[in-house]
Amino acid sequence: MTTDHHNPNPSARGPESAEETLRIVASLPAPEGLEDRIHAALGAAPRHARVLRWPTALKPQSNWMRTAAAAAIVFVVVGGGWGVYTRVEQNRPAKVIVMPPRIASPGGFSGAGAVRTPETIPGPAAPQVSPVKDGKKRAAKAGSKAAKKDTVTAQGAGQK
Amino acid sequence: MSTSQAIYAGWMEIPNSAVEEEARRRTEDAALAALVDQYATALYRVAYSVLRNPADAEDAVQETFLRVVRHRDTLNEVRDHRVWLIRIVWNIVLDRKRRAKTRPETDDVAELARVLPSTGISAEELAAAAQHHAYVLACVEKLPAKEREVLMLSAFEELSSVEIAEVLGITESSVRSRLFRARNLIAGLLDHTRNSK
Repeated sequence: MTTDHHNPNPSARGPESAEETLRIVASLPAPEGLEDRIHAALGAAPRHARVLRWPTALKPQSNWMRTAAAAAIVFVVVGGGWGVYTRVEQNRPAKVIVMPPRIASPGGFSGAGAVRTPETIPGPAAPQVSPVKDGKKRAAKAGSKAAKKDTVTAQGAGQK
Repeated sequence: MSTSQAIYAGWMEIPNSAVEEEARRRTEDAALAALVDQYATALYRVAYSVLRNPADAEDAVQETFLRVVRHRDTLNEVRDHRVWLIRIVWNIVLDRKRRAKTRPETDDVAELARVLPSTGISAEELAAAAQHHAYVLACVEKLPAKEREVLMLSAFEELSSVEIAEVLGITESSVRSRLFRARNLIAGLLDHTRNSK
């Protein structure tokens, strides 16, 4: 694919024209000194993460420091194991809950091993109404209903 | 050396690697410098084709190499440095463009006229060419992102469709189909504007 940089005014119209434009933009030269500036930026950038350094006397490379570290590891492992060992109680009798002996029923249903059976709660009792009083109440109720009906009829007639 | 000393030395010896590390660091620096010399221009052009701003493009290239410095331990594992670097700069410029969406577009004709090659043509022709290119680039910006990205990367002569697929993390057939759609869409956009004129 060739690009005529000397004649940037494209005569073609359509996708070729668009691609030619993109090719021209994509082939533009980089500014001078780009590489030098990037080298300078890379040189100024921090090369390593900042870490805490050991003091010279405590460098891990020194022999006595290694010995001390190994001793510390052994001490921690052995001490931890001993601590666990002393805290675990051995040959301790287990707690046993003594259950009452099961009484076998002579026949029929069994209590399914229940130790105590709850008492039955008494159910609700309907109030007892005497038949004479009930008849009087009904008559009184019917009378009040008839009186109320008469009042309503009279009111309706009055409105008319 | 006694047996116990030999066991002790073999068990807990930490190699004194300061010299080796210094040599390794120098090798990595040399490799990095070679990458900068070889690919900085190509990366700049990729960055500029998206950002269309020389300063932003240069910043993006610098950021690319700073990222490489951070991951230089994995430099030996990279199969194709060129595609790897283009992928890094591509992600950086897309991210920058996304973040700078609220800023005004810098695709002005004067900027294009300044950067376009102007040898052997008159000022009027250069202005007309810049105007045309600015218009075409505005049409390219209207394309969907997937099609636009493929179309822009296809403008780089040194990138094959396989390499474009690697940069975008898609298959080669997807690259071809997206490129086909992009060409159709851009033709439609250009035709529509020409007819409306």
